[in-house]
Order: sequence, then structure tokens, then C-alpha cells
Amino acid sequence: MDTLGYLSHGFGVALTPYNLVTALSGTLIGTVVGLLPGLGPINGVALLIPIAFALGLPPESALILLAAVYLGCEYGGRISSILLNIPGEASTVMTTLDGYPMARQGLAGVALSLSAWSSFIGAFIATCGMVVFAPMLAKWAIAFGPAEYFVLMVFAIVCLGGMAGDRPLKTFIAALIGLFLSTVGIDANSGVYRFTGDNIHLTDGIQFVVLVLGLFSISEILLLLEKTHRGQEAFQATGRMLFNFKEAASVFWVNMRCGVLGFIMGVLPGAGATLASAVAYMTEKRIAGPGGKFGQGDKRGLAAPETAIGAEACGALVPMLTLGVPGSGTTAVMIGALSLYNITPGPLLFQQQPDIVWGLIASLFIANIMLVILNIPMIRIFTKILAVPNWALVPMIAIITAIGVYAVHATTFDLFLMIGIGIFGYILRKLDFPLSPVLLGFILGGLMEQNLRRALSISNGSLDILWSSGITVGVWGLIVVMLLVPIVRIWRKRSVAQRAIADV
Amino acid sequence: MLLQRIFASVLLLVCLSLVAMALPYQAPFSYEPIGPRAFPLLMLGLMGLALVYMVYRPSPIKHTDEDPPMDRETLTKIAVCVLLLLVFAGLFEPLGFILSSMLVGIPLARLYGGRWLPGAVIISLMSVGLYLLFDKVMDVPLPLGLLDVLEN
Repeated sequence: MDTLGYLSHGFGVALTPYNLVTALSGTLIGTVVGLLPGLGPINGVALLIPIAFALGLPPESALILLAAVYLGCEYGGRISSILLNIPGEASTVMTTLDGYPMARQGLAGVALSLSAWSSFIGAFIATCGMVVFAPMLAKWAIAFGPAEYFVLMVFAIVCLGGMAGDRPLKTFIAALIGLFLSTVGIDANSGVYRFTGDNIHLTDGIQFVVLVLGLFSISEILLLLEKTHRGQEAFQATGRMLFNFKEAASVFWVNMRCGVLGFIMGVLPGAGATLASAVAYMTEKRIAGPGGKFGQGDKRGLAAPETAIGAEACGALVPMLTLGVPGSGTTAVMIGALSLYNITPGPLLFQQQPDIVWGLIASLFIANIMLVILNIPMIRIFTKILAVPNWALVPMIAIITAIGVYAVHATTFDLFLMIGIGIFGYILRKLDFPLSPVLLGFILGGLMEQNLRRALSISNGSLDILWSSGITVGVWGLIVVMLLVPIVRIWRKRSVAQRAIADV
Repeated sequence: MLLQRIFASVLLLVCLSLVAMALPYQAPFSYEPIGPRAFPLLMLGLMGLALVYMVYRPSPIKHTDEDPPMDRETLTKIAVCVLLLLVFAGLFEPLGFILSSMLVGIPLARLYGGRWLPGAVIISLMSVGLYLLFDKVMDVPLPLGLLDVLEN
């Protein structure tokens, strides 16, 4: 009952005209950013951090803005998938499978609005899940001490590798690079300068925004050089724009199933939207059986990944808000934003700053509704944006990125650092390393070290404290399972391959 | 495969030199059992182990269709692009935001396949527009540089 009271309080915060305008502009910016090739939710949110700060937005409005941009980006990513058959990011690959065939059949408008609707239902289910589970989790998490937190963060890192599938080693290395980078700068406990090379600009550590924009924007600019496509002709969304009741009803159960699935995948650290959409698509394909026309424009094949992505985006906020442990690249960026405001997400946030938490949850509801309403009349405008050629787009990304970095500290050292990180990120990408673990490691690194040192101070240096409580032992168990998953998977793949050779 | 081995070896060397850098990190007096060097050393150690494994057994890179193989032309383009970005960073303050972004943005547009004239027009408009938007409307201070005279 308490929850409902808090929720209505949250709506009170979110429904103030100021915050409504914030959410609206956030969804618009997010959709455009998500549309553009080379810019995804991580860049979008990271670019807005210094700007939100410079604008002097109060923390709850800033968080609402960032969450709205986040949701908007996820929405925008689908438009290029359906109209151009080019997934804006990895998670929308599944959307192209049935969305593009639908557009070719002249159902582009229907596909777009139906996917908006599916994503809305997914996000709605996940937000409801969040309202129910987040306070419970927060209450439980209060019992966590530093040792528990440390083990939990180890779990989050290991999860990334376990879920990443085919390249656990690279994911692991990427996360360790991030963890290491977080130690650069002055050590808060002892005042020792670490890895700064006597450079005064590094005493503060590497700025979070610099790392994100270097890794994601600069490396993307370099990647775009290889694909010199000049603004594709998009399918014109003509004819019927809105899906009808029958079409919505035909995918209703798909929406329900994939919404719950997406939420669970969102809460789990490391799973992410890519995995959620893939699992949703495969599951629905199996449920539909041979009767389904998956891959040729089946509406269920479009609804399944979209619902899952929508639900995942909201579900990922649960561990971030309740535990302060981000599970994905984008939520890691949001933690970085909060730390600019000196807000530490975690179980205490629910008690100390209910305005922020519940205002955010309520504005998720509102932003989702806004996105559905916006999407349908504005599809024509959005398709125009897709026609922007790369030669105009890339300089703009470069310039805006530089503004974002410069806005943090107003030093050109940060610009050079960003370019250096960008080149490194580009090499990592060319060698097939995933980049978001670097980001996650960077955010978790500081927290991990603090908690480890605090825990060992409590126990006076004895490592026993790391497995002394029931919670820690349980999480260690999960860690072992997560470590075994990729090993078993690789081993099985290898034995299948060997059998195939033996058969020949 | 070879590229990965080289990359892993280089990173391994970087790791080792960072370890050497971290070894003398010690707090002059300390209230806690764990000093400032334990965590970085732990991370570097784990990374080193993973990298050794990678040198020993690199995993194949999966090539997708839209991922063309690297040729000399692309590499030159990337070098030019990096150079332009570095020039941008270097001139950002001395020349000011508007001039430096025009100076770098126009060749950058050319590099990505734009023609000179439309590129120049659009980038110039974009530089001025973004300056006004960020500096005047959104309160993100940007350097004016050489154009400082116009302000007064």
C-alpha cells in the first residue's frame, strides 16, 4: 500500500509542467539520436550529462531527461531497422528480420506503429515490475555490507562474460581494462597519486564523459569511414499508418510473454537488450511452430524483439536504482551522471530521496506514453532525418562530442585524451572486443575498490569476511555458475564440431 | 590471428610497465590493512593472465558482410581523420570554437564524401548555430578565440 502512495507522489513530481517539458524534449532528442547511424543510447545519454549539468537542471529533472533520452534512443533505433534494413545497434538486429519484409510489403507504417506499441507494452510491464520489485530489493539490500557489495560487483562483472556467449575472454579483458582505468588519479583513502605520470589533468582521474565519448563516439566516427554509404533511400511509409485492433490482438500474448522475459533479462546484470531480443525472437519462433512466417514479415516476429527491448530498458534500471550496481552500458552512464550530482544510487536512495526514485519511475510511464503518441504522426519527419548523408552527420557528431567533453572541465587536455581513448576503442572494436564492459568496469571499479578496502578494514585484513555471510556465499555460488556457463558452452560446441569431423 | 597476438603482447607489455609503476605506491602512514596498490595490482595481474592466454590461443574474429577488409585507402583515411581530430583539439582554444570547427569540419565533410561547396556552407552554418545554441542558450561556455573582438 505504501508503494502506491509513493507512486502517486512520484506522479506529482513527474507531472509538473517543467518535468513534463523535460521528458518531452528528452524523448524527442533521444528518438533523433537513436535514428542516426553511429549514435546510440550510450552516446546520447553521455552527451547530455554535461549539458544537463550546465543547464542547472535539478537532479530529479536531469534524471528524468536522461531516462527519457534512453527510452527515446531505443525507440529511434527501430526506425532505421524497419525502413532501411540497417540495425542502428546490435539489439535491433532481430527487428530487421521481420520488420523490413513488412516494409517491403507496403506495411511500413503499420510495422512502425506496431513496434512502437509493442515496445510500449514491454516498457509498461517492466515499469509495473519495477514498482513491485524495486522497493523489495531495496529493503533487502539495506542488509548489505561492504563485503556483500564487493561480491555482488564481482558477480556483475562475471555475468557480462557468462552472458556474452562466444567471446568471454575478450569481455573479461575489456572489463578489466575498465576496472584498471578507474584507479587512475589520486587515491581518496591515502592521497597517493596513481598512474598519473605527474600530469596535473589526471589527478582527478579520467573523466567519465571523456571515456564514454572517446570509446563510443570517436571510434564510431572512425568506423563510419569504412562504410561510405551516402544516406540511403528509405522506404516511404505510405498508406495505413496505424495498426488495427485485430493486429494488436494477434500479438497480445506475444507482448505479454516477451515483456516479462525482457524485464527479467533487464534485471540480470550483463544480459542486455541484444540477448533479450534474440531470446524473445527465438522463443516466439519456436512457439509459433511451422505455421508462423518468421523472417517473411510475421507480425509476431516484429513484436517479440521490440517488446523485449522495451522491457529490458526499464528492467535494467532496477539494479541501478536499488543496488547502485549498473547492469548495462547505458545504466553505467546514468550512474556516472548521478555521481556528478553527488547522488549515490543504492538502497538508501529510496528512503532519502523518494522524489528522485519515484519521480523517475512515474516519468518512465509518461515518457512511454509520449513516445507512442509522438511516433505515429512524426514518422514522416523521422524518415527524412534518415536521409542525412554521412558527410554532414560525421562533422556534427565530432563537433558536438567535443562540446560535450569540453563542457566538463573546459580543458583541451580532455579533448586529446578523448581522441586517444577513441583510437584505442577503435582498435578494440576491430579486434572484436565488446566496449560496454570497459564502461561498466570503469564505473564499478571505484565502488569495488572502496568496498573491498572497507570490508577488509572491518575484518582487519582477514579475507574471511568475503565469504562469511549467507548472502556472500550465495553470490559466490552464482559466480561459479556464471564462470562455468561459457566454459561448458565452448566445450559443447567443440565436441559437436569434432563429431561433425568424425562423421565426414 | 596475428593481429590479435600482437595486440595482446603489446597490451601485456603495457600491463607489466604499469605493474612496475604501481609497485612503489605506498601510503606514508595508513589506517587500513589494504594500501592503494593492492586493487590495481590485482586487476593488472588478472588482465595479464587473460592476455597471456590470448597470446597463446587467440580467438578468431568473425567477419560480417558489411565489414570490408582493411585496405591501404581506408587506413590513409583513418590516419587523416585522426589527424584532423587532433588539429581540432589543438586549435580549439587558440582559434576558438567557431573557427576551429569550420577549419576541421569542412575537410572532414570532404573526407566522408561530401562536395566542397555544400560541405563548406553546411559546416559553417552548423558551427555558428551550435555555438549560439550551446554558449548562448544552454550556458555551456565555449571559447571564442580569435573572434573575441566581435564580442565587445
